[in-house]
Amino acid sequence: MRKVIATIIKEWILLRRDVAGFMLLFLMPAILIVVMALIQDAPFKDYQNLRFDLLLADNDHGRLAAEITRGLKQSDNFQVIDSVNNRPLSDSALKQLLQQGNYRVGIVIPAGATAEMVNTANTVANQIAEKIGVGKLPAREARSNKYVRIYFDPVSRPTFRMSVNFALDKLITASCSNVLIDRMSKLSGDTASAPPTEDFRKMFSGIGIREEALNDKTKDTAHINSVQHNVPAWAIFGMFFIVIPLAGNMIRERDERSALRVQLIPNANSSVALGKIFFYTLVCMVQFALMLCIGLWLLPVFGLPALYLGLHPFALLPIVLCIGLSATSYGFFIGTLFKTATQAMPFGAISVVILSALGGIWIPTDIMPAAMQKLAMASPLYWGLDAVNDIILRDNKLSGSFLALSVLLVFSILLWLVSLRINKARTHSVQ
Amino acid sequence: MALALDIQGLYKMYKGGWSPALDGMDISVRENQLLGLLGPNGAGKSTTINILCGLVMPDKGTAKIFGKDCVADTVTVRSVIGVVPQQIALFGQLTAWENFRYFGRLYGLSNTQISERAGNLLKRLGLDTHADKRVGRYSGGMKRRANIIASLLHHPQMLILDEPTAGVDVQSRAMILDFLKEYNAQGKTIVYTSHLMEEAEQICDEVVIIDEGKFITKGAPKELIDNTPGCNRLEDVFLHYTGHSVRD
Repeated sequence: MRKVIATIIKEWILLRRDVAGFMLLFLMPAILIVVMALIQDAPFKDYQNLRFDLLLADNDHGRLAAEITRGLKQSDNFQVIDSVNNRPLSDSALKQLLQQGNYRVGIVIPAGATAEMVNTANTVANQIAEKIGVGKLPAREARSNKYVRIYFDPVSRPTFRMSVNFALDKLITASCSNVLIDRMSKLSGDTASAPPTEDFRKMFSGIGIREEALNDKTKDTAHINSVQHNVPAWAIFGMFFIVIPLAGNMIRERDERSALRVQLIPNANSSVALGKIFFYTLVCMVQFALMLCIGLWLLPVFGLPALYLGLHPFALLPIVLCIGLSATSYGFFIGTLFKTATQAMPFGAISVVILSALGGIWIPTDIMPAAMQKLAMASPLYWGLDAVNDIILRDNKLSGSFLALSVLLVFSILLWLVSLRINKARTHSVQ
Repeated sequence: MALALDIQGLYKMYKGGWSPALDGMDISVRENQLLGLLGPNGAGKSTTINILCGLVMPDKGTAKIFGKDCVADTVTVRSVIGVVPQQIALFGQLTAWENFRYFGRLYGLSNTQISERAGNLLKRLGLDTHADKRVGRYSGGMKRRANIIASLLHHPQMLILDEPTAGVDVQSRAMILDFLKEYNAQGKTIVYTSHLMEEAEQICDEVVIIDEGKFITKGAPKELIDNTPGCNRLEDVFLHYTGHSVRD
């Protein structure tokens, strides 16, 4: 044990004196977390939580246009712009503004849209009235389809288009339903009991949708957001960057022959290897803890939500230990496999970037293509992130991460065994 | 006197090698002897030392140190030998003290033992005032001396040195050679390799000349000079047995 402790102390002194390595381990992931969380804040938000400028060209000037405009203005998501330079927006001006890329979405309500809606409502009301034997409302036989047209900035993403389409469709449906109820009321001659159209939606409040947390103990559904994704993801990425100082340290020790001296000391090899693994795993854990602190206290300073650690935050401890072990064993493997730092450093860095991309660090795996989602499982970072998400997003206990932890441990053990085999096969010399 | 080192019929062929690195090598060293292992490049000096340290497995033959087999009983052998590699096997980013403290702990020494032994050796080899400086900032001679100290912390019975004075200044060389003689006088066995014949002539009780993996001759330097016709120096003897062709 004294040999292990001696190695830990030695590694600590070496790391402390390696300013670049120290910065790489602690500053780089910290900067990454802050930058990525800020950059990805908007893309991670649901469109319902964002506010967009929406261009509106009203050629109808009727009830439909008024209700759509009112609905859009009441929504928290849209800032309706229906005039430019005190002049109402025309179709062509709207298209031109979108083409210039200054706005993301525009709506054109065609002339006669209200008339067509009323005519449709009258026709439907008459059909119902005919069946129940009450009066008839005036309605044209010939109907002309009127479309409320939506134009998008070509760079808009499909999910954004879908959200706006859905919101507009909801407003038009509500407006049509209101008119239909008006018409039906007129047919029955009961104008007094006609329901106020604004409260139409309230009539159906019995059939609502309400999202609730899976876990009864939490009030909120801990939605994935930029902070919840980026803090653990980049913290794990940073942990795997232990590959650089660890592999560099091993290669340097081989080059400067201090590793040879260790090898010549009886029974020191395993203690030194254990000390190294212990020390660097500890560094990984400290690194992760610091990154969590950034998520908890620093990111809110930048206007981002604070990191939520789930109902069982202490379950993170064994998870982070396993991630640290797998990161350290990967560094050990790289440090053993490559003979020079020139080979090991680029390979180590690039492989971690690839493994992180595969493992869902850059973007969550659930929005990856199906084949990539399967491939993601080859990355230890995927299992690490999955285990952390189990705790901080799904509010699970440690038992829920059993599979992920097993995979990480098997990954670590395999790499140690391969490293030992490579090391044994390598010829050492006192020369 | 008992044998400190007993090498018999050692044979080693490296994978992909053209010829055997060792081809039936026989060497014996008595306890308390200071033996020079001399040979041109590729003679098999380093392979022999690597086998003695348990770093390389021989294909045939045996090597024993104080009666312990270097292959079967590596742990015991390593505990009684101190190896000074040709390169500086120390952590350049650590100070000399930090290095000695670390290696001492790996040898299982207590802090008191480390302080006492390293302190004495630092003083003897003129590094006591530089002990708190990083080894990476040492001069070549200082590094060589620190390299020797690190190999002596556990008080080995036999010291094996691979060209311990290569590339050092005259003063450092003199200090190292004096120290080796002094250490030998304390009853320790020393096996050392060098390309510097004058140096070997000066300090060795006996030298062994090897070439192409084979034992060539052995004897006290003066005895070898006297018994080899036309030789006035050990270098002449060496060239007499190994030839003038350049080895790469």
